[in-house]
Amino acid sequence: MDTFFILLGGFGALADWTVLGFMVGGFLIGTFFGAMPGLTSVLAIALLLPITYTIDVVPALVMCASIFMAGMYSGSITATTINIPGAPSSVMTAIEGHQLMKKGSGANALGHAALASMIGGSIGAVLLMAFMPIAAQISLLIRTPGKFSLVLFALVVIIIVDRGAIAKGVVATLLGVMFATVGIDVLLPIPRFNFGTETLVQGIDIMPIVIGAFAISEVLIQAQNWRASSGVVDAETKDMKIRRRDFIPPLSEIRRIGFVTYVKSAFIGYGIGILPGAGGSMAAFVSYATARGASRYPEEYGNGSREGIAAAESANNSMCGGAFVPMLMFGIPGDPTTAIVLGVLVINGLQPGPRLLENQADLIAPMFASLFLSALVLIPLTLFLFGPYFVRIVSIPKGLLYSAIAVVALVGSYVATYSVFQMSLAVGFGLLAYVMRRQNYSTVSMLLGFILGPDLEQYLRRSLSLSDGNPMVFLTNLDSLFFLTLTALFVYMILFRTRKKPIVP
Amino acid sequence: MTVNRFLRAGILFPLVLIIVTTIYLGAALGIESQFSSPEEISPRAIPMLTAWLMYLALLVVLFQELRSGPGDADQPDGGSFLRPALVLVATAAYILLFRPLGYSLSTVLFVGALFIVFGFETHRPLRFALYAIAVTATFYGLFAFVFGVRLPAIPGFVS
Repeated sequence: MDTFFILLGGFGALADWTVLGFMVGGFLIGTFFGAMPGLTSVLAIALLLPITYTIDVVPALVMCASIFMAGMYSGSITATTINIPGAPSSVMTAIEGHQLMKKGSGANALGHAALASMIGGSIGAVLLMAFMPIAAQISLLIRTPGKFSLVLFALVVIIIVDRGAIAKGVVATLLGVMFATVGIDVLLPIPRFNFGTETLVQGIDIMPIVIGAFAISEVLIQAQNWRASSGVVDAETKDMKIRRRDFIPPLSEIRRIGFVTYVKSAFIGYGIGILPGAGGSMAAFVSYATARGASRYPEEYGNGSREGIAAAESANNSMCGGAFVPMLMFGIPGDPTTAIVLGVLVINGLQPGPRLLENQADLIAPMFASLFLSALVLIPLTLFLFGPYFVRIVSIPKGLLYSAIAVVALVGSYVATYSVFQMSLAVGFGLLAYVMRRQNYSTVSMLLGFILGPDLEQYLRRSLSLSDGNPMVFLTNLDSLFFLTLTALFVYMILFRTRKKPIVP
Repeated sequence: MTVNRFLRAGILFPLVLIIVTTIYLGAALGIESQFSSPEEISPRAIPMLTAWLMYLALLVVLFQELRSGPGDADQPDGGSFLRPALVLVATAAYILLFRPLGYSLSTVLFVGALFIVFGFETHRPLRFALYAIAVTATFYGLFAFVFGVRLPAIPGFVS
């Protein structure tokens, strides 16, 4: 209970104007990147990762949280207005929102999306603060063999959930593990894979991988797909007059959707957020499908269902809170955004785990507060202030935008360590990620393999060392057995059950 | 036809990764530990296991690619590879010139090169130049003034 009150104290840190400025700035950046098709909040955080070297950890984490929440919500803007989801998690919103847009109720659809995002995001943040102390207690019970099986579970889930190309997912994850083995061994002072160079003895930093995989590769992909007409909004949409009062959903419509739909979707989103690799898209889809199954108005789905928008948006924003749980307690990121936030923690010398909550709760509590306030205050405020101009975001020339992204990515790689080598490394990883993306290999799996690889190796070697090399330790240890059983169950559910009945939208 | 079937990117990429994995495995075999006891797993064990799993996964990918034939991934959206190649050349030149020319000059040239690749304002030279200078100045302001980062100066000038 004490920890919960310490976490609540995080709101006090936001009274500092600098921290508050980073939260609002982060939210606006996240809204812009989330609303622009092709750009995501992951890219926004990736571009800002090098900057976190130069600022304190509290504003850095506060900014990351507000970008995360904003990116998840703002994907619904272009999904509704021009039927192009700004983020993958807004696909379900596009189905319903754009139908309403065509009926002349675009502002109403945006209002419902914002309201559901606000409710879902707030519930997700409250659940995060309420259950973090419990999660910390549970994580203390897990011993080394159990930690190995948990990391293995996370990697298996990431591979099988992502895109369905299992073999390519394994290749991408192992590639990340291979990069992670460069440098000093995890247990002994022995350099590995430095190929006689001093630079590689320190290992590969997360920053060039993140910049390369998410920023440089995006610029290369956009260069390949570039069309002179891309980003042009049709005249009818551009000239559309939206009044601010149209954004406020009528009470009768909110009653029709029902309080239960918002809350149930938020819990679904939070639960899916805890699963490694699942992310906002799956949260939105599962919640949307659940709401449709239980709806009193199923015929409205596909024709502009406000209930469908509410279910999808409440879940994907609530997912933000859930995704922080495995990252903060076990160092296992739930999605690419939390993977980069983990990078921010590590850069600042913070190690995930129950001790983080015990000893440094004051550093992470403002991040939770930022997540909550971004959902509760900034989502409706941004919609009210900037809503009428949202549709024009996509009119920004792509040439200007991607040139600016390239400059931020490269100069950012330089400023993190004042090293031209880091810039070259980022471009190298960018080229690799570009080829991987073109060939349907997941760069997210590569990043998570890079992050989780050292943990997997460390826990495996420690467990076997403690049991004199007996691998049965993973079956005789109850927590390890639990996670191995969970892994087997998950593989069965996803691979065999879904072949009979596809669940991916 | 048969040559094309084997030389497409879907096949070439896993083949390149097989070569990379072989180099990695060779380096893993060369890792010597003077500290670990016989019952401990040596520092080369996990890299070797990773390499063998990689071979296995790559063989499955190759098998799947050969069975499926040329797919959409090899003709992505009909886009040209010329533009990404030009972006890479411009980026390589930018990295090489970043310190010798300093942030301002190298960034203006880099942004200009990207504007040409993306076809942005290429018919209006004045706007083209103004936008390139504006992008350079904006990010100089962000990095140097907001975040207090020292960027390389034009030779002969103080940053």
